[in-house]
Amino acid sequence: MPMTDALLASVEQLFSLATLVSMMIGVMAGVIAAAIPGFTITMAIVLALPVTFTMSPLQGVATMLAVYVGGGSGGLISAALLGIPGTPSAVATTFDAYPMARKGEPGRALALGIWASFFGALISAVVLIIAAPPLALIAVKLGPWEYFSLILFAVTVVASLVGKSVLKGLMMSLLGLFIATVGQDPMMGVPRFTFGIDVLAAGIPFLVMLIGIFAVSQLASEVENPTETKQGKALVGGKMHFQPFGVMREVLSRPGNLLRSSMVGVVIGAVPGAGGSIANLIAYDQAKRASKTPEQFGTGIADGVVASESGNSATAGGGLIPMIALGIPGSAVDAVLMAALMVQGVSVGPRLIMDNADLVYGMFLAMFLAAGMVLVFCLVSMRWFIRITEIPKSVIVPVVLVCCAIGALALNNRITDLYLLVGVGLVGYLLAKLDYPLAPLVLGVILGPIAETNLRRALMADENWTLFFTRPISAMLLLLAVLSVALTVRRLLKQRRIANS
Amino acid sequence: MSAATDQASRATREANSERGKAIANILFNAGLAALFVGLFMEAGDLPSSMWEPLGAGSFPRLVLGALVLFNLAIMCQSMIELRRADPASSVGAGRWFIQRRLAFASLAAFCGYALLMPWLGFALASLLFLFIVQIILGARSGRRLLMACAVSAVFGPGLDALFGQVFMISLPQGRLW
Repeated sequence: MPMTDALLASVEQLFSLATLVSMMIGVMAGVIAAAIPGFTITMAIVLALPVTFTMSPLQGVATMLAVYVGGGSGGLISAALLGIPGTPSAVATTFDAYPMARKGEPGRALALGIWASFFGALISAVVLIIAAPPLALIAVKLGPWEYFSLILFAVTVVASLVGKSVLKGLMMSLLGLFIATVGQDPMMGVPRFTFGIDVLAAGIPFLVMLIGIFAVSQLASEVENPTETKQGKALVGGKMHFQPFGVMREVLSRPGNLLRSSMVGVVIGAVPGAGGSIANLIAYDQAKRASKTPEQFGTGIADGVVASESGNSATAGGGLIPMIALGIPGSAVDAVLMAALMVQGVSVGPRLIMDNADLVYGMFLAMFLAAGMVLVFCLVSMRWFIRITEIPKSVIVPVVLVCCAIGALALNNRITDLYLLVGVGLVGYLLAKLDYPLAPLVLGVILGPIAETNLRRALMADENWTLFFTRPISAMLLLLAVLSVALTVRRLLKQRRIANS
Repeated sequence: MSAATDQASRATREANSERGKAIANILFNAGLAALFVGLFMEAGDLPSSMWEPLGAGSFPRLVLGALVLFNLAIMCQSMIELRRADPASSVGAGRWFIQRRLAFASLAAFCGYALLMPWLGFALASLLFLFIVQIILGARSGRRLLMACAVSAVFGPGLDALFGQVFMISLPQGRLW
């Protein structure tokens, strides 16, 4: 089918009332699901999958893309207003959006995130259309050596990014990697560190870790001050102005940050197995390194919010690149999207663009449309989301704790997951009080299995471990990992010297 | 208490807990190091494979070995901090806990909520948890107490009904009934 015919056919299907309505519902579901701590985009998209079975292939995949793009922005809401990342891809958003909201600018924090997400998704859709085939070819060339080095880089970046001590950050990353080894060995299926306890047999669920570490401990910290809490003080105080168009200019006045962070998101998204959870941290790190005032990052500045949100939203388009070009899903969400297409009888692989050009162009257009719908929905509904901040802590803290319990229970329908949540929450609270950063721990748990599998695969393919240092991309990533730690140590020593003098 | 005074007292409190933090860090890392050494030994018993050079135990041993080194490094760092901290202005562990009594009370209530849920079911356990925590956090009279009752009813039995009837996700119903 010629390109113009395919494009027109996809436009006709996409702009039908049924598709537009189902996409709008998908956007709302994605935003709301990702805003609730414990409900990930993957969970939302899995729940949406059965609904799409009765739809046409394009309507089905467009609806799921709407959930996906909506979820990318939804994580921002709880990250900015509650300091709890709604999804792992919003971890870096809490670094600046939450302090900004606490400083009395919750409306600005949300608006910055919404616009950055919109532009990030838009840029990724453009790159998806232009560069899908060549980028997918690069991504697929990465071997286990490069994947292992990429994960090492991601882990050291986050460990050196957060907290006051690099030692504590690196220790938490390693602790996360160790926690990920509990359960079945990924290659041989041998039980490890389970001590005959049933609940440990399948490993510690990372979602429960995520909710416990971020949500429960954060909520406990919120009610530390008895005077504030008993007076019924709201979680976030100050001006509730929401001036979306003024903030749009603020986002666009940072073209370098926006473009760089979006490109980081696209490239990381195109690497199978990576995704938003790494992209937002690396985008944030890059923005900090490029900034003339890196010491202001983490205090509630616009650059931090823009970097994180444009970075994570851009992974949506990036993740589709290897899926469309080669049939390799970039993330768990892309795998569900691929499953949806396969259920519809569409074979996903290199011939997809030749055999179903209308579907592929429809997916490209659906990305643009979904980004626009998320923007409109968020701008219209954000005034209501900001109302959350006016609720007293004495109400919101127990209510969100109950939502956390639902998040843990809904995962496997096991009461033991709830016990685990309470334990992890308590430990997380004490760790935070002892100045241990919690983000590296969670990232370690998520990336642990990927790191181990790739390390073992690499050594299975060739026992020569020097390949990690001689393969150019792997060597570059390892060098970046060392540099990220070294530069942070230098920065901290410099800060200490200044403080002492 | 004004916001400025409150901020100031909070800053002093954080500064004064440095010595306690250093001691807690030393004890915590010593405990972790002992645990990780034990797990390192345990990982040595995990089977190896004839198909790959690294068996099931190598990666965990690599991580555990590095963790022990980091524990020792943090202990050294904390010992230096302990020597620098002023013992006269430090708060004791008891006072530290009292200052954070609401946080610990909420966490204790959350613990009780989890333990009671299999017996009472999600709806009733959530209703009680929401009501008790709101009272702990200051909703003790008038409009706030009325609001606590409403919030407990909506987010306890209300959420149970929403998830059970609309999302078809069954939450625990309780063994007592």
